[in-house]
Amino acid sequence: MQSQEKTFPQLLMRNAALRGDRPALRHKYLGIWQTWTWSDVAEIVRSYAQGLYDRGLRHGDTIAVIGANRPKLYWTMMAAQCLGAIPVPVYADSVAEEMIFVLENAGVKMAAVQDQEQVDKVFSIMDRLPDLQWVLYDWGRGLRDYDEPRLLSIDQLIDGGREHLDRDPQTIKQLDDMILSGRGTEISVILYTSGTTGRSKGVMLSAERCIAAARDSVAFDKLNENDQVLAYLPLAWVGDHYMNYAQGLVAGFCMACPESADTVEQDLREIGPTFYFAPPRVFENLLTRVMIRMEDASGPKRWLFHTFIEIARRYGEKILNGQSVPFSGSLLYALGEILIYGPLKNVLGFTRVRVGYTAGEAIGPELFSFYRSLGINLKQLYGQTEAFLYVTVQPDGEIRADTVGPLAPHVEVKLTESGEVLFKSPGMFVGYFRDAEKTHETMTEDGFVRTGDAGFFEPESGHLKIIDRAKDVGKLTSGALFPPKYVENKLKFFPNIKEAVLFGDGHDYVTCFINIDLTAVGNWAERNNVSYASYQELAGHPDVYAMIADHVEDTNRILSHEPMMAGAQIKRFLILHKELDADDGELTRTQKVRRGFIAERYAPLITALYDGTQEADITTEVIFEDGRKGAISARVKIVECEIFPLATKEKAA
Amino acid sequence: MMQTYHQIARGDTLLAVDHVSLSFGGVKAITDVSFDIRKGEIRAIIGPNGAGKTSMLNVINGFYHPQKGQITFKGLTRSRMRPSVAASQGIARTFQNVALFKGMSTLDNIMAGRTLKMHRNFFWQCLRHGPAMDEEIKHREFVEDIIDFLEIQAIRKVPVGKLPYGLQKRVELGRALAMEPDLLLLDEPMAGMNLEEKEDMSRFIVDVNQQYGTTIALIEHDMGVVMDLSDRVVVLEYGHKLADGTPDDVKANEDVIKAYLGVAH
Repeated sequence: MQSQEKTFPQLLMRNAALRGDRPALRHKYLGIWQTWTWSDVAEIVRSYAQGLYDRGLRHGDTIAVIGANRPKLYWTMMAAQCLGAIPVPVYADSVAEEMIFVLENAGVKMAAVQDQEQVDKVFSIMDRLPDLQWVLYDWGRGLRDYDEPRLLSIDQLIDGGREHLDRDPQTIKQLDDMILSGRGTEISVILYTSGTTGRSKGVMLSAERCIAAARDSVAFDKLNENDQVLAYLPLAWVGDHYMNYAQGLVAGFCMACPESADTVEQDLREIGPTFYFAPPRVFENLLTRVMIRMEDASGPKRWLFHTFIEIARRYGEKILNGQSVPFSGSLLYALGEILIYGPLKNVLGFTRVRVGYTAGEAIGPELFSFYRSLGINLKQLYGQTEAFLYVTVQPDGEIRADTVGPLAPHVEVKLTESGEVLFKSPGMFVGYFRDAEKTHETMTEDGFVRTGDAGFFEPESGHLKIIDRAKDVGKLTSGALFPPKYVENKLKFFPNIKEAVLFGDGHDYVTCFINIDLTAVGNWAERNNVSYASYQELAGHPDVYAMIADHVEDTNRILSHEPMMAGAQIKRFLILHKELDADDGELTRTQKVRRGFIAERYAPLITALYDGTQEADITTEVIFEDGRKGAISARVKIVECEIFPLATKEKAA
Repeated sequence: MMQTYHQIARGDTLLAVDHVSLSFGGVKAITDVSFDIRKGEIRAIIGPNGAGKTSMLNVINGFYHPQKGQITFKGLTRSRMRPSVAASQGIARTFQNVALFKGMSTLDNIMAGRTLKMHRNFFWQCLRHGPAMDEEIKHREFVEDIIDFLEIQAIRKVPVGKLPYGLQKRVELGRALAMEPDLLLLDEPMAGMNLEEKEDMSRFIVDVNQQYGTTIALIEHDMGVVMDLSDRVVVLEYGHKLADGTPDDVKANEDVIKAYLGVAH
């Protein structure tokens, strides 16, 4: 019965028929959670689809969707899919030049955007987009005086469509036909990759594969219509499209849209999602904030917190995994649940989380364990846009911090000789949009997809372990392994360190750039009477350097316990004078470090790290939020750290 | 959405200041100044420190009473009035140094701006249900609209004393907007802000003017902002009117250049 629906609009109609009164979508507006049921959504989407059709959107056309997670933008995707048109979600924070590439490449005919900011961006590049006919907007503030014939509000379009449907029964039948005749082999959505390794590529995903993949994971995690999620991740990211859009339509659960990007934390608490997905960065930020707030708490509270977190560290994960713990341990843990863990989870909005996932980047083991020890069933998965997400996933009871788990249902994986991971999955992509050459490069002849990640299967458990991007893993001149991300993640577990970039491939020793976390270090500065006027000044402060040096040495000490990684200890480091920023091209839009670019941009600093000098000058160009350019120059200090011998020897002594 | 009643058509004179003089003892703050504010425009009042700009605003909203001259607002001429009367006539203002209720939340501060619009008496207010509650819900909706407009949802429940300065200024603007004013007086809305906050605030001022059709009179020292935002500028110096006209006229005016930049001797 379940497998009849081949496209998302068909699923939508099924949900409207099956569970019409259940909530489908929520959005906090004017301080109140507004709810739409599945039948509401179906009605709106049908009207919207008719409106789009009347304005000329046809089968096979593309429509860009630019903005935050708002109901009307999700409806845009559904409505376009009703017509067999292809939605192309675009990262809302991309600057106009980045947007050009995607919109041009996708040849969009319409663009549905959130607000004036996005409208301005699209119109600023309009002359390069000859196919673009209509720009639709969700939120009209500031747009009243725009004299633009090609600008329309989404409400207008929905109303127009509704009126047309009411007036002319013929159109109802026509629309029904279009929805029913949608074929599963057709392209359902094009998701552009974030471009960690260069230009982003349009990943074409077909409807039936998307739905097949979502069905597998819905069954795997036993999701149903009673679940609830908060959709706060970028629309253009596969994580959002899969976890919220695809799974939501398949399982029929309710998706809640936050009031604004700044209120996500409060909204999370109010909604209390049962299924939660976030990249490691989000978990990291949450932990940093909790730790900062605890630093400001009174002595007894601090003691209570740290004591029980220590108890959780010792027993929490074992209890969650169903392993046996001493009676006193479970008793103390139960007490901690009442005093600390329960309230803490409530504050974070995790009270009702049944299944939580993290993916997108390797997560620091300490960070992962912290959340699990609180009793949150956080799991890891490994996936890719090209796979329509899951390649491997951890089933309950087989959860480890240092692996990404065994293969997901119906996925095949093989490794090349160099260790690169290749996969075949139910949600696998059809090809890159208008880029046959890249498609050819990525797909092997026997139909596997290259991931570009190096990994290996752990022999005893069959779990996949990802080491790093295949091309990032290097060797020092001594022949020791140099896995940059592995060490960076260890560093980033310190709340004071926001980002770290390691260098060492082909060198004698390992060096590192550090970005301090302004929230954490700022707070520390306040408590220690360190005065500063800017990020740059704080970053260069001798006391900050001393503190970071301690962190680096701690990391070295940890590394010295691991035979494979002991060679990757950091000898010299510096603290960067500015935050790495996606606007400057240093990070991707999903906030991943772009190594090659950083190495090029800060070449003088790297030279200084290896030639033994104590200070180096650097001037970098920065791009402000409004697109203007400026330059920051600074003199950066370099500090040397202690390297520890392999720990086994230490123990013997 | 917000409803302002449009008895006066856009472009007509909303407020006329007619030969106004104000002095404190022997100190002449304003001497024989006349200008007008037209419906729907953004009117800037500029001038060096001590030129009498804030005094002028205080005269307009009835806080100071001029010794000479008169003020005509929406066709009504008055020489003496109290600020509360000005408020009920539709004049709202923000202050040079933020004047919010520090211990109250953003929401409550903006709700305070609706006080004049609440009509139920104390008896009804004491009840949990009934007309006062309905009224409160209606006003809350209006206030939420402003919160959405100013993008301060995240600080709805935060006591304003804990907010950074730039946000406090925004809350103050929200409270003034809650009065649905016909004339909004802004006393240095961007003082002490960084570039980004200034840009945000400029955006909001223009949006308020366009979306709600609110007439705005503002005092500001940042010349870039003034010249960008305002339709017309009046320049004061030592209590006298120095110039009056469009930003371009004013920029070209020699007296203004002298007052601001000084002249070579």
